[in-house]
Amino acid sequence: MLTKGQVVVHESLGDEKHKLKRLVLKGPIARTAQAGQFVAIQVQDSSISSFDPLLRRPISLAGISSENDEITLLYRVQGRGTEILARAKEGEALSIMGPLGHGFSLPEAGELWLVAGGIGIFPLYPLALSALSKGLTVRLFWGGENQSFLESAGLSSWEKLGIPLYLSTLDGSLGQKGLVTEQINDQLRQMSLSSSQIWAAACGPKKMMQAVTEICKNVKVPIEVSLEERMGCAVGACLGCVCTLIDETGAKVHKKVCQDGPVFRGEEVVWDESC
Amino acid sequence: MNPVNLSTQFAGITLRNPLITCSGTYGFGEEYTSYCPLEALGGITLKGITPLPRLGNPVPRLAETPAGLLNAVGLENPGLDEFIQSYLPKIRKLPTAAIANISGFSLEDYVQLARALQKDSGLAALEVNISCPNVKHGGMHFGTDPQSAQEVIAAVKAETDLPVIAKLSPNVTDIVGMARAVQLGGADAISLINTLLGMHIDIYQQRPVLANTFGGLSGPAIRPVAVRMVWQVFQAVDLPIIGMGGITTWQDAVEFMLAGATAISIGTGNFVNPQAPLEILQGIKEYCEERGLASVRDLVGLAHHDR
Repeated sequence: MLTKGQVVVHESLGDEKHKLKRLVLKGPIARTAQAGQFVAIQVQDSSISSFDPLLRRPISLAGISSENDEITLLYRVQGRGTEILARAKEGEALSIMGPLGHGFSLPEAGELWLVAGGIGIFPLYPLALSALSKGLTVRLFWGGENQSFLESAGLSSWEKLGIPLYLSTLDGSLGQKGLVTEQINDQLRQMSLSSSQIWAAACGPKKMMQAVTEICKNVKVPIEVSLEERMGCAVGACLGCVCTLIDETGAKVHKKVCQDGPVFRGEEVVWDESC
Repeated sequence: MNPVNLSTQFAGITLRNPLITCSGTYGFGEEYTSYCPLEALGGITLKGITPLPRLGNPVPRLAETPAGLLNAVGLENPGLDEFIQSYLPKIRKLPTAAIANISGFSLEDYVQLARALQKDSGLAALEVNISCPNVKHGGMHFGTDPQSAQEVIAAVKAETDLPVIAKLSPNVTDIVGMARAVQLGGADAISLINTLLGMHIDIYQQRPVLANTFGGLSGPAIRPVAVRMVWQVFQAVDLPIIGMGGITTWQDAVEFMLAGATAISIGTGNFVNPQAPLEILQGIKEYCEERGLASVRDLVGLAHHDR
């Protein structure tokens, strides 16, 4: 679907030094969107036609409100495209393709373990809401740079959910010092829960998702991961954003992150291939 | 006022309008249907195929540049057999003309592909991508050597009853020489232009962005080069031209037609605006209406006042 999304809110998220932005857009996308899906948003200044930057930017859905016809995009300003997007003003209409790709699946019962690294936290929030509304138990493992980052990236809204949070920071300023994977291992050791009752969903740096997938494999916990790649068309036509998976026969196959993903089963992903 | 006649015929191909989509940007026809109905398009050019399946290049395969896009997909495709078995039955049912795009690394590759794809396959034409290295001749690209280009086109032409379109590479000193060569080989039409070879270096990582180092540049950045080449070939060679290279707006499309393109093809522009083909078609129509032109064909080559 190609639609115009009207900017309802566009503001800094938390401390400005982290360059995080919150963009709320009004439009019909929320009606059919699922957690883990994304939109391809045009980042040109809408007041004057220009083809530089040329391509749309894929941004995951961080909030889906079908009652209000609103989607929320949370992003970090880190290049020319997001710098231009950051200038979009309230009331402005942005061209959006979406919802795109396949999102996370939800188990029927049991526990959902969410694992996030850095801004990989953003697409997991709507997933947590869906899981909670389905009556599932949800835990969050989240690693970030420091306390200031976690607070800026929405820690308080997670605290409001009243779910167990296992936080890690690289400098130890909040939660446990170190990596998110250490927290997961700690919990697995302490828990009486059978691993067959747990599902996991991860989003973050590739190395983190690879490590978490490895842990999950060892304890036979199914895990879904959300991959990222440079995209061209965002609909599966250009083959720009392929990833390598192992299929049922054990053969290496290419899948399109935009169309077949961005969410894949972790154990199928070939992590070390650059393609 | 009578409506503008949008239909166009060339090289034995009949299209409801002159608007096509470029190979490699439109998959096998099903990817964009929720954005742009195929019924609205004159035709689509399918993703390039090779005799054997190819996994293509590692990622990153894409790099954005000013008003442009570098790609090094590396001809990832399911191969000829899978194309015929799994894709062709669906392609036959598409409500628009489908042009297959074939690529090879030897003359034999092209012969094998052309032999398998005939009129009864339901395709409208074969577009021959000659921008690949000829592995049997030290990697010299078919598309940069007039003799090789002529041979490839002649070989394809001898094997298929479909109209043959030669897609020329702009990475040559003399585009007219290449156009004349494929005309001698028996090409029915010419697609102009394929991507321009380029590269982009990440100055912080201090290495090329693309895993393949080099990639093909497309998008508005290359449009003036494409228009110039369409202009030159129109003057020198009596073959219909499908103009392409950075067409993103209706104004771009009109420019190509004025330069001599009989049909125009949208590639990277689809990524920017998946409804670009619809908007471009509407724009061309209105442009003709405002100038009292009865047919879109009246635009072709109109900027050559001395012709």
